[in-house]
Amino acid sequence: MGLREYTIRRVIELIISLFLFSTISFIIFRMMPGDPSSLYLEEGILEPGMREAIRHMLGLDKPLWEQYLIYLKNTFTFTFGVSFLYNKPAIDIILSRKLLNTLALLLSSHGLAIVFGILLGVWSAWRRGKVFDISSMLAAFILYSLPVFWVGIVMLLLFSVKLGLFPLAGTITAGLTHENILQYMADYLHHLILPATAITLIRLGGDYLITRNTMITVIGEDYIKTALAKGVPEKIVVWKHAARNAVLPIVTWVGLEIAVIFSGAVLTESVFSWDGIGKLIYDAALWRDYPILEAAFFIIIFVTLVANFLTDLAYAALDPRVKYD
Amino acid sequence: MTKEIRLRQKRKYGERFREIKEFLRVYRKNRLGMLGLSLIIIYVIIALLAPYITPYDPFERVADPFLPPNPEHIFGTDELGRDIFSLTIYGTRISLFVGILATLLSAFIGSAVGIVSGYFGGLVDDLLMRITDLFLIIPGIPFLIVLSVILGSNIWNIITVIAIISWPSTARLVRSETLSLKTRTFIEAAKLAGATDTYILFRHILVNVLPLISASIILTITRAIILEAGLSFLGLGDPTKISWGTMLYFADRYGAMFSTNPYYIIIPGIALSILGLAFVFVSYAIDEIVNPRLKTRRLR
Amino acid sequence: MNKNNKLLNIEDLRVYYVMSSGSVKAVDRVNLDIGKNEVVALVGESGCGKSTLAYSILRIIPYPGRIIDGKIYFNNIDITALPEEEMRKKIRWRNISMIFQGAMNSLNPVMKIKDQLMEAIIYHEDAIDDVEGAYLRAIDLIKRVGLDPSRVLESYPHELSGGMKQRVVIAMSLLLNPKLVIADEPTTALDVTTQANILELLRDIQKEVGISILLITHDLPVVAEIADRVFVMYAGKIIEHADIYSIFKEPQHPYTDGLISSVPSLVEGKLKKLKIMKGEPPDLINPPSGCRFHPRCPYKMDICEKEEPPPVTIKEGHVVNCWLHVKR
Repeated sequence: MGLREYTIRRVIELIISLFLFSTISFIIFRMMPGDPSSLYLEEGILEPGMREAIRHMLGLDKPLWEQYLIYLKNTFTFTFGVSFLYNKPAIDIILSRKLLNTLALLLSSHGLAIVFGILLGVWSAWRRGKVFDISSMLAAFILYSLPVFWVGIVMLLLFSVKLGLFPLAGTITAGLTHENILQYMADYLHHLILPATAITLIRLGGDYLITRNTMITVIGEDYIKTALAKGVPEKIVVWKHAARNAVLPIVTWVGLEIAVIFSGAVLTESVFSWDGIGKLIYDAALWRDYPILEAAFFIIIFVTLVANFLTDLAYAALDPRVKYD
Repeated sequence: MTKEIRLRQKRKYGERFREIKEFLRVYRKNRLGMLGLSLIIIYVIIALLAPYITPYDPFERVADPFLPPNPEHIFGTDELGRDIFSLTIYGTRISLFVGILATLLSAFIGSAVGIVSGYFGGLVDDLLMRITDLFLIIPGIPFLIVLSVILGSNIWNIITVIAIISWPSTARLVRSETLSLKTRTFIEAAKLAGATDTYILFRHILVNVLPLISASIILTITRAIILEAGLSFLGLGDPTKISWGTMLYFADRYGAMFSTNPYYIIIPGIALSILGLAFVFVSYAIDEIVNPRLKTRRLR
Repeated sequence: MNKNNKLLNIEDLRVYYVMSSGSVKAVDRVNLDIGKNEVVALVGESGCGKSTLAYSILRIIPYPGRIIDGKIYFNNIDITALPEEEMRKKIRWRNISMIFQGAMNSLNPVMKIKDQLMEAIIYHEDAIDDVEGAYLRAIDLIKRVGLDPSRVLESYPHELSGGMKQRVVIAMSLLLNPKLVIADEPTTALDVTTQANILELLRDIQKEVGISILLITHDLPVVAEIADRVFVMYAGKIIEHADIYSIFKEPQHPYTDGLISSVPSLVEGKLKKLKIMKGEPPDLINPPSGCRFHPRCPYKMDICEKEEPPPVTIKEGHVVNCWLHVKR
C-alpha cells in the first residue's frame, strides 16, 4: 500500500474515532448531575423564576435526541455550543489564547524532556554499571516518583516567594502594557520558565528510563557487536548504530503519551494559574459548562489522533522495514 | 485430563516453588529492591499504627494556625492549627489504600481483557483492543475530573476512577505476553490432552504471565498514588479523609506559601515521593530479576 | 615473552561477568593457539563460554563482562594491553574480523548494505589510502560470495534472504584483508542446503586468500568438514585439544567422546548409535568443584570432585585435562 492510500485510510479511521468519542462524551457530560441552571440557582446567582428561561436559552429543555443532533452538527462544523459560563461560542474561548498557551507550555517542556531524556538515556545505557549510569538512574527514579503539582508549588515557594526571581501566576504580567513584541515575548518567557521546568523535570525521568531500557536491548544485538568489531569508533556506534534503533520505540511511545501529556497539563496549569486548556477544563467541569468540556475534549482527542498519525509517519520514515499497512 | 498431564502439573508446582525460592535469594541481594521493600514495610506499619504514633488528634485544633516547626509540633501547624506531623501520618493510610486497591482493580481488568484478547484472538481481540486503544487516548486527568464530578467525591469512586484510566496499559502488556505464551508446546499439549479453555487460561497462561507483568503492576501503584494526590490537590478528594493531596490542596488554597510555615507544603510531598520511590525501587528490582536483559517495558 | 610463530596465542585467560548475585566465570584460565593459515574449531555446548572467548579476542565483551587476567598475543603483541584507539585502528577488522552468530542480526536494520560495508573502510582511513579502490574491492568481494552488487549494495538488510545476508557478512569480514576471521556459529539459523553452500564458500576463500579461521560451533559435522585442529570447551575451560583426526578417532575426554557419539557419524560413512549426553550444563556462577564435568561423567572417581585435573599430553599436539589419563 502506498502512502496515499495509507493516509486516506487513516483519515477515515480518524473520523470514525472522533465520531465515537463525541458520542461517548455527549453521554458522559449529560450524565453529570445537575445542569448549569441548578448550580447557579444554588449559588444564588439566579432568581428561581428565571431558571426555565435559562434552560430554554441553553437548549436544555429540548428532548435528548434533539440535543444530540444539534451537538453532532456543532461538533463536526467546529462551532460547538455557546459556553454557559462565558456566554461566547466555546470554540472561540478555546482557540482564543488558551490552546496556544497550553501548546507553548507542553511543546517547550516535553521537547526539552525528550531531547535530554534520549541523550542521557543513550549514554547511560552505553556506560551501564558506571558511576554516571547509576547516579543518573537514581535521579530518574526520584523524578519519576515526584508529583508534578508538588514540584510546581515547591518551585513557586522557592523561586517566586522566597527569592522573588519569577512571577507567581499567569502568562503575562497583569496591567503591564508592553512597548513592543520583544518585551512581550520576554515577559511571556519569564512566566513560562517555572511551569515548563516543572514538567520537564518530571517527564525527564520517564523519557530517560524508557530510552535507557530500549537502548540496553539494542546494545545486546549482534549488529552493535559487529559495528564495534569492525573498528567503528565508539561514539559513532552509540549515536549512529544504537541510538537510531533505540529511538524507534520511543517515537511510538511519545505518540501514545500525547493524551497523558495533555492530562498532566491540568495540574501544572492550575498550580501556576497558567491560562490554558487544562485550567479551562477544570473550571468548566466544576460549573457544568458542557459546550466548553465537549469542545475541549474534542480538540484534545483530535490533536492526539493527529499526533499519533504523525508519529506513525515519522516511524515509517526512520525505519526502512515499515510498510504502510 | 490424563494422568500424565496431572503428574506433569505436580512436577511443575515443585518447579514453581523452587523458582520462587531462587527469586527470593536473588532479590535479597538487590540493594535498591531491599531498600524499597523496607520503606514500604515502614509505611505500612505507620499506616496501621497511625492512632498510636500520632502525638495529636489530626482532626483537632491543637495550637495556633501556621506555627513554624517547634518542639511540640515538629512540622508546625496548618491553617486551622492542626498538627502537621499527625496529619501526614494519617495521610499514609489513604495513599497506600487507594494506591494498592486501585492498582489491584486495574490489574484485574487489564489482565482479564489482555488474556482473553490474546488467547482467543480474532474478532474478540479486535473488539477488545479497539476499546483499549480508545481508553488509551482519553486524557486521564480531565476525564477523572469529569467522572468525579459525576460520581461524587468519595474514596471508592476515586479508586474506581483511577482504575478506569490505568487498566489499558496492563491489558496491552498482558495481551502481548499471552500471544507469545500461546504458541508454546506445553499449551498445545494441554489442549491436546483435552484441557478446557478456562483451565488453560488460569492454570497455564495467567500463572506464567503474572510474574512477567508484576514489575509493571508495581509501577502502577506509584502512578496511582500520584494520581490520587493530584485529584485531591484539585479539590476532588474525599473531604472526610485526610490525604497528602488534600493537605496540599488546603495548603495551596490558604496560602501556606506566604505563611510562617512552609513545611506545610514540603512535608506531605516528601512523604508521598518517598512512598512512590519505594515502589519504583521494588519494581526495578523485580524487573531486573524476572527480565534480566531488560526488555522494553512501557512506563506509564 | 611469548616467542613462537603462532598467529594467536591465548594464555591463562579469565573473563568473568561480574554481577551482584555472583560472577559468571565464562572463560576460566583458557589457553588456545592458532597458527597461520590454520582453521581451528572451538567446540562446546551453548553457554560454555565460547562466544565470550571470541569477544575477548576483539575486546568487545558485553556488560558486565571483563577480562580478569591472562594474555592474548596476536603476532606476539599482547593485545589485552593495547590502548583502545590502537586496538580499534590496528586490530579490529584490519587484522581480526568476525562473523557473528546468526548473521541475520549482524546487519543494522536501518542502514543500507553499502554503508555498512564502507564503514569498515572509512574508519580505517590511515590503513587504506585508496578509498575508491576499497570500494571496488567491496564490489569484487560481493561478486566473489556469489551476489549481484547492483542489487545488494543499495538494499536494506530486510530486503535480503538469510543466506544472502550471511554471504554479505562473509564478504564484509574479508574487506580489509584480515589475518584471522572468527566465525561464531556461521551457519546456524540457515537451512541445510544454504549451510553447506556457506561452508564450502568459507573453505574455498580460506584456501584462496590464506587466512586463519577460528570456527566456533556446537555442530560437529561442520567441524569435520573444515577444521585442522579442535579445542573442546566445557564450562569455561578447555578440556581437550588435538588435530581433527585424533579428536574424531581417539577422543580422550569422556565429554569429547560423548559429543562425538551424540551425532550420527558421517566420517565413517555409517550411523553410530546415538548416545545422548545426560545432565545439564553447569551453573557458571558456582561451577562444580574439581573437574567441572564430574557431575555428568560416567567414569567419575573420588579425586574428580576434589581436584582439578592437570593437562596430560597424549601425543604431540593432543592434550587432555582428565584424571583418567593421569598416571599415579
